[in-house]
Amino acid sequence: MTESGPGTTDGAELATGSEGDTADHGTDMGQTGTKTGTGTGAETGAGTDLAVHLDGITKRFPGVTANDDVDLRVERGSVHALLGENGAGKTTLMNVLYGLYHPEEGRVVVDGRERAFDSPQDAIDAGIGMIHQHFMLVDSMTVAENIALGNEPTKWFGLAVDREQIIAEITELCDRYGFDVDPEATVEDLSVGVQQRVEILKALFRGADVLILDEPTAVLTPQEVEGLYDVLEELTAQGKTIIFITHKLEEATHAADAITILRDGESVGTVAPERTDREDLAERMVGREVLLEADSDPVATGDVVLSTQNVAVEDEWGVDVVSGIDLDVRAGEIVGIAGVDGNGQAELIEAITGLRTPDEGTVTYEGTDITDWSRRKRIDAGMSYIPEDRHKRGLVMPFDLVENSILGSQRDPEFAPDGRIDWTSVRDHTDDLIDTYDVRPPDANADASSFSGGNQQKFIVGREFERDPSLVIATHPTRGVDIGSTEFIHDRLLELRQEGVAIVLVSSKLDEVRALSDRLAVMYEGEFIDMNDPDAITEEELGLLMAGEQLDEGANSASSASPADIQGGESR
Amino acid sequence: MSSDSDGQGQVRRLLERLVQASAMERIVISIAALFAAVLVGGAFVFVSGGVASCRSGLDVAGITFCYNPMQVFYELFLGALGNPLQAGWSPTNLSLATTLQQMTLLLFAGLSVAVAFRAGLLNIGTQGQLVIGGFVTAITVVFAAPIVPDGFVGAVVLIPLGVLVGAIGGGLYGAIPGVLKAYADANEVITTIMLNFVAAGITSTLLSWRFEADSPNPRTERVPEYAEIPTVPGIGFSGRMDFSLLALGFAIVLMVGIAWLFARTSFGYELRTSGIQPAAAAYGGVNEKRMTVASMTLSGALGGIAGAFWVLMVHGYWLENVPSIGFDGIAVSVLAGSNPLGVGAAAFLFGLLKSGSESIGTATSVPPDLVGILTGLIILFVAMPEFFRMIGRQYVDVGSPEPARADGGSVPADEAADGSGGEDDA
Repeated sequence: MTESGPGTTDGAELATGSEGDTADHGTDMGQTGTKTGTGTGAETGAGTDLAVHLDGITKRFPGVTANDDVDLRVERGSVHALLGENGAGKTTLMNVLYGLYHPEEGRVVVDGRERAFDSPQDAIDAGIGMIHQHFMLVDSMTVAENIALGNEPTKWFGLAVDREQIIAEITELCDRYGFDVDPEATVEDLSVGVQQRVEILKALFRGADVLILDEPTAVLTPQEVEGLYDVLEELTAQGKTIIFITHKLEEATHAADAITILRDGESVGTVAPERTDREDLAERMVGREVLLEADSDPVATGDVVLSTQNVAVEDEWGVDVVSGIDLDVRAGEIVGIAGVDGNGQAELIEAITGLRTPDEGTVTYEGTDITDWSRRKRIDAGMSYIPEDRHKRGLVMPFDLVENSILGSQRDPEFAPDGRIDWTSVRDHTDDLIDTYDVRPPDANADASSFSGGNQQKFIVGREFERDPSLVIATHPTRGVDIGSTEFIHDRLLELRQEGVAIVLVSSKLDEVRALSDRLAVMYEGEFIDMNDPDAITEEELGLLMAGEQLDEGANSASSASPADIQGGESR
Repeated sequence: MSSDSDGQGQVRRLLERLVQASAMERIVISIAALFAAVLVGGAFVFVSGGVASCRSGLDVAGITFCYNPMQVFYELFLGALGNPLQAGWSPTNLSLATTLQQMTLLLFAGLSVAVAFRAGLLNIGTQGQLVIGGFVTAITVVFAAPIVPDGFVGAVVLIPLGVLVGAIGGGLYGAIPGVLKAYADANEVITTIMLNFVAAGITSTLLSWRFEADSPNPRTERVPEYAEIPTVPGIGFSGRMDFSLLALGFAIVLMVGIAWLFARTSFGYELRTSGIQPAAAAYGGVNEKRMTVASMTLSGALGGIAGAFWVLMVHGYWLENVPSIGFDGIAVSVLAGSNPLGVGAAAFLFGLLKSGSESIGTATSVPPDLVGILTGLIILFVAMPEFFRMIGRQYVDVGSPEPARADGGSVPADEAADGSGGEDDA
């Protein structure tokens, strides 16, 4: 089954197709056509030296196809960018290459040999190294100890670690690649950029020829990013091959020799950076999707319900992840916050909902300063919140739906008069939610963990919408939800808006924020870089803004407003 | 998920199976483990008998095997109940009293550990809370006795007072590691272990101020006889005064109360949520810091009550040589999977083993060390599956696996085809 990868012959393809879902058959055929085209192209074009060749990789998770027949060809000695939105399947694909996942279909070819990696150790043995977004370093140990950890050269017949040899090898590696890293330094004393180099050294120490970097710039300052580019250049000059994962257009075009774009788990093609431009990349990355019909009749907006003044949040390393956010949300208004994940939306929302105290600024709710209010008080005041992470926050996984239906309302007099929970009325409430929001299977006694992601999400959305809120903070409310339920959730959002609820909608789905929002802010690196009327901006322009690009003034002069206009344009 | 190599995959599947076992399966596993422990322990006893010297035994191939495993286990389980299969058995025998006395104390201690554990806290300090609680009880009752009338009135006033101050003392002592954890991020395992030593130190110092320090067995004054927990009239346990059915009844009421607290109250709901998923609890408006302090206080109070009953029921005074009821409570709670009702059953098993060990000592020539091994084996076997469940829960994702493409949603087939099928790939 895995051997008969698509694209060999049409006959083989037909055989695979008939085994699988017949509905997908047409798709398979179509892709086969394109594939043979590129296949021949690449073969004739170079006969090039491919360090890594992923051929027709398909990786499925329950309910989701994370990678669908993805091809990736990486030339030796090149920097290859894997570009795509969050959740496009980039990391999954690299985890397949690194031996963390087994693909359902497709071949992994490294150095011209087909491999089947059972574990990362196999991948490491084959010369592949991965540098994760979050470093795997022991802070209290030295650089040398971290690098050698698990691969210590020994002396005295394996009785002692040969420290001199470790230091010597690391010094040699540093010299060869021009790294300025002191092997004797303790990791916790090093800056993030240097720690990243230690991670790269660790991979090189283990003999990696292909280095995978997962969003390497996410944790770096701009200067450190420049330094990283130099490092990549030096590595490729010495014959190493780099694959780096990113969602930032600028990085891909700046640092890569080739860019493969993934969207919704499928490869949208590989391009050379000099033969493309940012608009083209953004369009490929975001894709065109069918716009949802959303009734956005203007509603007379009421008073300001939520207001933030100059809110700033620092992460645990003291880096500003949110800075200077001013935002007013009125009753009967949906304010969308678009942006690629990880640009401070999560932290801003946590500051508003009371899971985090902002380091600067104030949050005002219905005219009261609530910056210091507890989460409990905010819930009681009518703030509903659909959290981003449903497995960690939104649901208690080992609890059944009945118990989960009062998460947040466990002290609400409706369900728990005088501190005793009235499980009968809670159960009725749960059944109503399951019924109204079409949670499947409709079993209130099943553990939350047994439901699929989409149904879990529907349940959370239902619970939060039915709280009779005056403010709804919805982060990715339709993530993982099927199209039918997505529409239902959108309709409910608009109904709530009609009823005069103030709504903040955070989503990385462009069509969603565009269709629903009355005003749309784009967040990039912790700041609102633009605030728009969503109807006056195209998805491509929005994609560019989300990727941190400034719009061409001429093309878009009508729609863009200066950030100063964001705060309550109509009122003040 | 099939990505692990075979060995790892197997371990993982086993763990998954164990973590997802139903309540019924867990009970069956526990009983099977008990039988396995009896088999292994029996073999152990039999072989040990081969190297011991004795006058009569089973001769096999020139070796005399001194101990009869059947008899040992008969004494261990049935001896602890006072040999119910023999003629003239009365439920009020001495051995059963010992079993139930131990059960009562372990029930309080086990509940103490279970409450903390359900809130996600490992309270190793029940022993210290018990020491403090018992001490405060003894001192308070001794000092309050002169100003309270004798007899029935004295009992009605002094016993509840003693239990109450024991609970308060233990509760406050348990609150210390709670506060340290909540507001100074100090690991409660470390602090509670250290506070056990502090408790022993404080009490022995206070004791030495009032009593001779060089006494071989330092203890407080005895509380008046009417202030000890009375036995139920008419049900005397062979004249034994150190066990009272009233105490056991109170322990069982408390056990049901804790189970009710977990299942039916907002506080219990918040406590369980905090223990399972702290992030979800925070999202649901639970103040983590306050919950940490509250659950540790409740846990400590239960430990303190154990101490109060140890003083008022068993001895009538506090003595420096406190048995390790608090530590045994940890094992009881682990065995019970931190389920309050399960704590009752586990406490009974522990009481049984304790009393059965004494029966073995009197009825057979098996040395007490060997009996210790037997009871240890039983606890080990019965507790291990639960223990692995606890460990496994951290490694096995109880939730459905988060799809890597978390954001994309389910793109319908036709739309996906539109998106990529027609697009060029060059």
